[in-house]
Amino acid sequence: MSRCRLIFIVFFLTVVLIGAVHMRVSSSRVFFRCRRAIVEQDNLRLQLGRKQLKLEELLNPSVISEHVENDAEPAP
Amino acid sequence: MKTQRVIVVLHLLMVAVFGLLGWRLFYLQHCQADRYADEAYRSLHAFTRQEPQRGRILDSGGVRGRVLAASNKTQTVFVDPVMLGHWDNVMETSAALQDILGIGAMEICDLIAQRRTSRFVKISEGISEAQREAIVAANLQGVGIDTQWRRYYPMGALTSHVVGFIGGSADPNDADKIGLSGAEQAYESLLKGTRGNHVFIVDKRRYPIGLDTKRSIAARDGSSIVLTIDSTIQEFARSALMKQIQAYQAESGVAIVMNPWTGAILAMVSLPDYDPSEFWKVEGGRLRNRAVTDPFEPGSIFKPIVVAAALDRGHIGTTDSIYCEDGYYAKYRIGEWAGHRFGNMTIKGILRESSNIGMAKIGQKMGQKALYEGVRLFGFGQPTGVDLPGEDAGTLRPTREWSSYSVTRIPYGHEISVTAVQVTRAFAILANGGSPVKPHLVRAVIDDVGNVTHFNRQVSLAGHLIKPEIASWVVREALTEVVNEGTGKEAALQKWQAWGKTGTANIATNGRYDTVNYTASFVGGAPADVPRVVVFVSIRKPNKALGKGYSGGRVAAPVFREIMEKTLTYLEKSGQ
Repeated sequence: MSRCRLIFIVFFLTVVLIGAVHMRVSSSRVFFRCRRAIVEQDNLRLQLGRKQLKLEELLNPSVISEHVENDAEPAP
Repeated sequence: MKTQRVIVVLHLLMVAVFGLLGWRLFYLQHCQADRYADEAYRSLHAFTRQEPQRGRILDSGGVRGRVLAASNKTQTVFVDPVMLGHWDNVMETSAALQDILGIGAMEICDLIAQRRTSRFVKISEGISEAQREAIVAANLQGVGIDTQWRRYYPMGALTSHVVGFIGGSADPNDADKIGLSGAEQAYESLLKGTRGNHVFIVDKRRYPIGLDTKRSIAARDGSSIVLTIDSTIQEFARSALMKQIQAYQAESGVAIVMNPWTGAILAMVSLPDYDPSEFWKVEGGRLRNRAVTDPFEPGSIFKPIVVAAALDRGHIGTTDSIYCEDGYYAKYRIGEWAGHRFGNMTIKGILRESSNIGMAKIGQKMGQKALYEGVRLFGFGQPTGVDLPGEDAGTLRPTREWSSYSVTRIPYGHEISVTAVQVTRAFAILANGGSPVKPHLVRAVIDDVGNVTHFNRQVSLAGHLIKPEIASWVVREALTEVVNEGTGKEAALQKWQAWGKTGTANIATNGRYDTVNYTASFVGGAPADVPRVVVFVSIRKPNKALGKGYSGGRVAAPVFREIMEKTLTYLEKSGQ
């Protein structure tokens, strides 16, 4: 009886230990993935920002005026 | 006996050894505790500084407001020559980078060779996402990617003087850039945000596996500001002014468009201007926003202000007639513009024909005290408080410093200096029926999470500086006549009734007026019944030698007309 109990305790402790290590590793892995996703999200946001700035440059009233004036000039 | 002595010595030795160990233990655990705790903490943690994103500056045009200034991150590829070490590594790395960046390997080698002892040699700035991924995948020793915020100004020179620019901080230890001009400087505290620090728990490869939330401080991005400026109206003003400056080979020019009911500045142009992204390439004079920093003698555009003050205080009446000395006021040595000779003139006629002698006599009727107070009432001699840095107050000397001539000179805009913003505000007061307005540039402030924290409402005007009927008479009766029949015919609009006043002021050189350099100005508004905007135009030193004219009516009034016509059409079409 006492041997069984000992085996059970050792087994239980081992399982708890393995479980704890596994959960810790999983947690670290998930956190790392989460950070990568955040960085990736930031990158995408920056790319979007870059495109928006490009668009704003194209919609600059000065640029539009130049285009309109150029189009209005009669062909030689 | 001998053995006993050996035992004693050994005991003493052991005591000494344990004593030393104990002392070492005490030294490490107590004296050096902080150091080792810090080292242990550092080995388990990684720290990253989080730079906040500087707030955006938007205009109030369009549906959502156009971006006038915004920050975005750029990635810079750099090489650490010390880490690369041997020249063979330099060649190898350069060859690898050549394929990714499209820059010649020899060029990269040259860059590295020039700074062999440096730890940072910039190779390429603003790389694409694909290039970044290729560099990371190549895992090159001694090559890194640095990410930094960069400020963009999509409108370029169009709004340069209003938006301003950012540059190096005055503090050499601070790598940040701060606003050095325009709204960037005036609203630095709102735009800059606060820096954050992230503390990560790391594994043995220093990969983050957790966040130390107690020690981490999140960065807070700067607030964004929405300006009252409308880029479309700004473009109308800039293109019209630039065209005229080129046509008359003038030195510089200023144009302001203001809502007279709120004091909101819809456009502010100062030429020559510059591209804020490359502000360091231009000479200092171009960086100055002449609309707020440069005082000038206003000349005849000052006359309606004095007339309004004199009428309001009862020194003259709207039907009064003044004898204009047939062209020369000998006692005070005052002549008329372009040698004109006028006899008896009404107040309206004095403004219409821009009579200096008539104005001098109005000044005499007012007397020093009333003239000073009347002019001061319109805000001259004091800053307007416009939210831009470096505003000049102009010059309005106290009456004790006036000569006996001053009371005859100030009414036609001599012996006084004003800024463009001051004049525009004074005419806005006339346009809105005599109520005070404060020129301003910011319409709203939006915090980093999108909440509007400040909104400049269309305030209802309280109180009057002059009687509404006087302001109305000056605008609708006198100044419309200037445009219809007087010196400002070139400012007449097809669809609306414009009003305004021309000004042609001598520029003093070495303390004396000459007959070559002038400031040609026009300021007014439209429509006359309920003015929607007030426009100020001033062109400095048009080339008289061209023979095309140099007066305010000839040089500045057509610019006013173009700006006003386009602006009113735009406001009408856009339903504003």
